[in-house]
Amino acid sequence: MKKKNRTGSYIFLGLIMIFLYAPIVYTIVFSFNEGKSLTKFSGFSLKWYGKMFANNTMMEALFYTIACALLATAISTLVGTVTAIGLSKSKKVLKNVVEQVNQLPIMNPEIVTAIGLLMLFSAAHIEKGFFTMVLAHIMFCIPYVILSVMPKLRTLNPNLAEAAMDLGATPVQALTKVIVPQCMPGIISGALIAFTMSFDDFVISYFVTGNGVSNISILVYTESRRVNPSINALSTLIVVIITVSLILVNVIPALAARKNRKTAGVAE
Amino acid sequence: MKKKGLLVLFAGILMTLGLAGCGAKEKLKIYLPGEYMSDDLVPDFEKKYGVKVDVELFDSNEMMYTKVMAGDNYDVLIPSDYMIERLIKEDYLQKLDTSKISNYGKIVSDIRKAPYNGYDPAGEYSVPYFWGTVGIVYNEKNVPSSEVEEKGFGIMKDTKYAGKIYMYDSERDSFMIAFKDLGYSMNTNNEDEINAAYDWLVELNTTMDPTTVTDEVIDGMAQGRKDLAIVYSGDAAYILSENEDMRYYTPSYGTNVWVDAMVIPKNASNPELAYKFIDYVISYDAAMGNTEAVGYASVNSDVLNEVTKEGGLYDGNEAYVPRTGYDKDEVFTDNEFLRKKLSELWIKVKASK
Amino acid sequence: MKQFRKMVYPYLIWSTVMIAVPMLLILLYAFTVGGNSVSKFMFSFANFKRFLTDKTFLVVLYRSLRIAVETTVVCVLLGYPTAYIIAKFTEKVKMRWVLLITLPTWINMLVRTYAWTGILQDDGVINSILSFFGAGPITFMYTDFAVILGMVYNFLPFMVIQIYTSLTKMDYSLIEAACDLGANPRKCFTKVTLPLSMPGVISGITLVFLPSVSSFCIPRMLGGGSYVMVGTIIESQFLTAGDWNFGSAISLIMAIIIMISMYITKKVDKGEKLEGAQV
Repeated sequence: MKKKNRTGSYIFLGLIMIFLYAPIVYTIVFSFNEGKSLTKFSGFSLKWYGKMFANNTMMEALFYTIACALLATAISTLVGTVTAIGLSKSKKVLKNVVEQVNQLPIMNPEIVTAIGLLMLFSAAHIEKGFFTMVLAHIMFCIPYVILSVMPKLRTLNPNLAEAAMDLGATPVQALTKVIVPQCMPGIISGALIAFTMSFDDFVISYFVTGNGVSNISILVYTESRRVNPSINALSTLIVVIITVSLILVNVIPALAARKNRKTAGVAE
Repeated sequence: MKKKGLLVLFAGILMTLGLAGCGAKEKLKIYLPGEYMSDDLVPDFEKKYGVKVDVELFDSNEMMYTKVMAGDNYDVLIPSDYMIERLIKEDYLQKLDTSKISNYGKIVSDIRKAPYNGYDPAGEYSVPYFWGTVGIVYNEKNVPSSEVEEKGFGIMKDTKYAGKIYMYDSERDSFMIAFKDLGYSMNTNNEDEINAAYDWLVELNTTMDPTTVTDEVIDGMAQGRKDLAIVYSGDAAYILSENEDMRYYTPSYGTNVWVDAMVIPKNASNPELAYKFIDYVISYDAAMGNTEAVGYASVNSDVLNEVTKEGGLYDGNEAYVPRTGYDKDEVFTDNEFLRKKLSELWIKVKASK
Repeated sequence: MKQFRKMVYPYLIWSTVMIAVPMLLILLYAFTVGGNSVSKFMFSFANFKRFLTDKTFLVVLYRSLRIAVETTVVCVLLGYPTAYIIAKFTEKVKMRWVLLITLPTWINMLVRTYAWTGILQDDGVINSILSFFGAGPITFMYTDFAVILGMVYNFLPFMVIQIYTSLTKMDYSLIEAACDLGANPRKCFTKVTLPLSMPGVISGITLVFLPSVSSFCIPRMLGGGSYVMVGTIIESQFLTAGDWNFGSAISLIMAIIIMISMYITKKVDKGEKLEGAQV
């Protein structure tokens, strides 16, 4: 009975994986296509990679995308976590106000947020470019971080930090040694969402950037209507970068944890 | 431990940003449509003059307008004719000193005459980049030439070809074919004519099951997925060179002719370099590379002669050279009433399917 | 604990400038007519009247909502089992699957959507396979099917992760207790697991429904240029027609509809919980 269930589960997961990965595999395969077509594979070639690396605009867009995503993720995770912890100790009124305000960028169609920000930057005479793009990304990432940290905080014992301080911890220590580790899963998932949102963002970036700064999405949107297999090469490159960095992110802590466990075992 | 990692990361980002930002090189910012310039042009220009060029791409003239209006500054823009007219009207552009452009005399003289010069009659504000027409690309194997020539744009409503046509997703171009087929000017202000064109398009949309796309039409027709399409001449030139069954036709009762041109905005931070860039773009070698890569008709007369002479790259390609001498051919003019009207009606046309 | 409260203040200032002010600007535009200049302020409902009295716009609005609802339903139907299966694995295996689910979302959305255009094309992979078996060709591109597929493809991981998070947060001893008490697996699922994971489903719905209803690049790429949705209209008002006032009004209408539907979703969720508690 149980075994049958398992097989069914694996088949289902397998199908989902095919669904999620088929287009990516397709992209990778066609990045090596000799011809220009997106539907007919005419032979193996590396020429689209050559064209991609020679293309300044593409390389710059790649750089801006990654830099913006890292900055936006780091800052929004920090600010979002701090705010969420503060909120969990705040009065209900304030909590409600912030939660409602946070709903705006989440509830609003991206294009509305984008136009709002465009008008704001124009009104404030801030020159549009990388800086405005990062600001905008931080703006729409923070609410997601708060959203994913808050539930973890709610499950925490409210007296935990107090107990720590009673035992002699400073408030900062109580924060970093007790509260933050307790809601780490929420923080990590918040950071993951933030990174994904920033990395993927098209609409908001499209409106708030300027002065030659564009990210991959904008590049793809403006260039992909025409068949340009360099885009396939670029996305293959992204797949490689992302896979490698994700493996590093996951493997290093795991190794560290194993080491820690070993030393802990010795100490015992 | 973790904190240190984060700090290092931050420092790394800031440093790379700083490095990217602080080149001592002179900088030029250009803003042009996507996939509209040879990949080599900018790097070659950078090498030649030891400068750095920031390239930003736009999806539509209107997108560009929004940004320029919002105060972004660029040194060179490459918009279409009607948009240049609007930018001139709203005082966003500098008057050009053509004596600073040594290759100016090489520009094909037809572009400086009616109907092509309508947007900037005296040529005071713009230097042409590419020029062309709008026409029908059809598959000769499935659609007889005689039929296309007889019906003009009206063939797009022949139900024999239902499900076999691409329409171009732009209110201006779609209304243009309706206006022309009805015998009106495409710059009309007459509400009855506009409504007649609207009905024409709704009928097409409800009876023909068209696939309405923009640049996707290029690969679509090159692969022969449909039989009829509304296409810009330069894209048609590419399609014809990829697929020998395809032909290009511009109705004799008139069509849209157009010019995309380079302009320098008033708030440009480096107009001197902008002149150098414009001059470089229309110089023989750069213009040759550009027209070879993109497929649109060059504005440099030497280049145009070279690629269309016997054995040239576009020899015998009927879509490449824009036509002249048809008095019903028009350029779009900037017309706020029509612009708003068409934008709203086009959504209704598309929603009618 | 009062010292922690101060930690909210920086964000209060930030959100006022970056969230509230832009929204006020949009409000201002929506209720004025006469171009993009704030100086000639003229309070007016004309923009709203124009949208709500025009049948075409209402049809488009209906279509956007329908596509978004269908996308969300498909995401729940595919996402819940996926999350459920993953949540039952051991800790190590779990993380691997979560990684596999999220990995695609790291790759640019427009790129991934673009790949589908090659797959779904009349002469694309699927139709090639079909024709090998003597079937087809079926037109996938530029249909509802293609648009919903593209949206599900892009938003499914959000749904899975949200449900997964709420499932793993759950106290498994509760479920074990229920099952030990003799509830059969199905009852155990419908009475305990499902209600407890509802918050995840709700936030999953939020993360899927919202981008679907306002999306304009996926309908554009897979539905073709004639595939008009509310997002497309707003875009054209801002970029083509240059009527920021009308565009702002449409966005407000959309935002209000979205908020109402979210409110209803949350109410339904709470209602179910109460019921669950009574049983």
